[in-house]
Amino acid sequence: MSEFNPTILAFCCNWCSYAGADLAGVSRLQMPPNVHVIRVMCSAAVKPEYVFKALSQGIDGVLVLGCHIGDCHYMTGNHRTAKRFPLAQKILNDVGIDETRLKLDWVSAAEGEKFQQVITEFVGVIKKLGPNPLREVKF
Amino acid sequence: MNELGKKLCDIAFDKQKADYLLAMREESGNVAPVFISKGEDIGEANIDYPYQLVTILSRIYPWLNKGKIAIVARRCDEKALNETIKRGLFDGNRIAVIGLACSKEQIKKCRCNDPVPTKVDIGEPNNGVNTDELMNKLQRISPEERMDFWVRQFKKCNKCFACTTNCPVCFCEDCVLEERTFVAEKGIPPGLSFHMIRTFHLADKCIECGECERSCPVDIPLLTLRKMALKDIKDLYNFKPGDRETASPMLTTLEGELLEDDTHVC
Repeated sequence: MSEFNPTILAFCCNWCSYAGADLAGVSRLQMPPNVHVIRVMCSAAVKPEYVFKALSQGIDGVLVLGCHIGDCHYMTGNHRTAKRFPLAQKILNDVGIDETRLKLDWVSAAEGEKFQQVITEFVGVIKKLGPNPLREVKF
Repeated sequence: MNELGKKLCDIAFDKQKADYLLAMREESGNVAPVFISKGEDIGEANIDYPYQLVTILSRIYPWLNKGKIAIVARRCDEKALNETIKRGLFDGNRIAVIGLACSKEQIKKCRCNDPVPTKVDIGEPNNGVNTDELMNKLQRISPEERMDFWVRQFKKCNKCFACTTNCPVCFCEDCVLEERTFVAEKGIPPGLSFHMIRTFHLADKCIECGECERSCPVDIPLLTLRKMALKDIKDLYNFKPGDRETASPMLTTLEGELLEDDTHVC
């Protein structure tokens, strides 16, 4: 049987995390190729609705990356993100989806190595969890 | 006009000096909401059936420019009023509340733990129930079994939007569930995300009236799902919806101050 290759979405904020991802790429850091990066203007622009839809359609994991607290380009954007996503995780847990499939982390524009580390760790966690059971569920 | 109707009119028009009264009445075997102005006949008033009159109020409020409205409200209606007034939908001074205490059977049906209104005008106050058996059961079983349970429940959903239409705290003008990005135009049942999105949206304003569960034509235990989300937000931010002062943690920054222009956003 072939190895399970998860599909993972990473929402990266334009001002920090996307630049961090860029830096990781320019520095030629090795990381698993399972991640699809989506650029958003701010981590607060990622509605939890997107995450719910992605997970219920069979995506194996969702990463939300933003600027560190206090560094947000829009002053308090990531404050909102920090408040929303723990609740979204709890709701995922309530309906029986493993809450580690959603991860919130902060990566700044200078942290190419942290980006690599976050991605590698998350892919490892999802590989251990196995495929999203909702992929098989036909509604 | 029956005894109860007289009593309601007395409280509303004489005691509370209201101009309008929103209540429920029975007509040829059916119970429905009724809205009367001062001096009109209320008919056979009836309070046995729970119904969120705040939903009706939010429909007629834009057409009434002046005058005080008295509304028959259980504890949950009262909390719904607080939530909506806090978000700027109604003018709090124009609304008078006639407190109605729920019967024991009703409390049991709603698994309600806070059934007594601040001022009881009609009915006898009863103690609340603290346990939701289904919720306890769901928290005991494994995540796989829980998902299996919810998937089986949500497969029954036929996207009738009754839970949304009858919800007293669903007041967004453009509902996110009517956006095609999130819920496909075609396709029944709408999938798990529909219900997760609704749960998330209501987590900071659900007042546990149970209208979604009552109006659901396929009996999905939606109230249990709401109660689970309310427990989550209580655990995370120690916030319980239903009062007129505390701002929702979803609208504040990490330091606790309100964001600009955010008091009216839902």
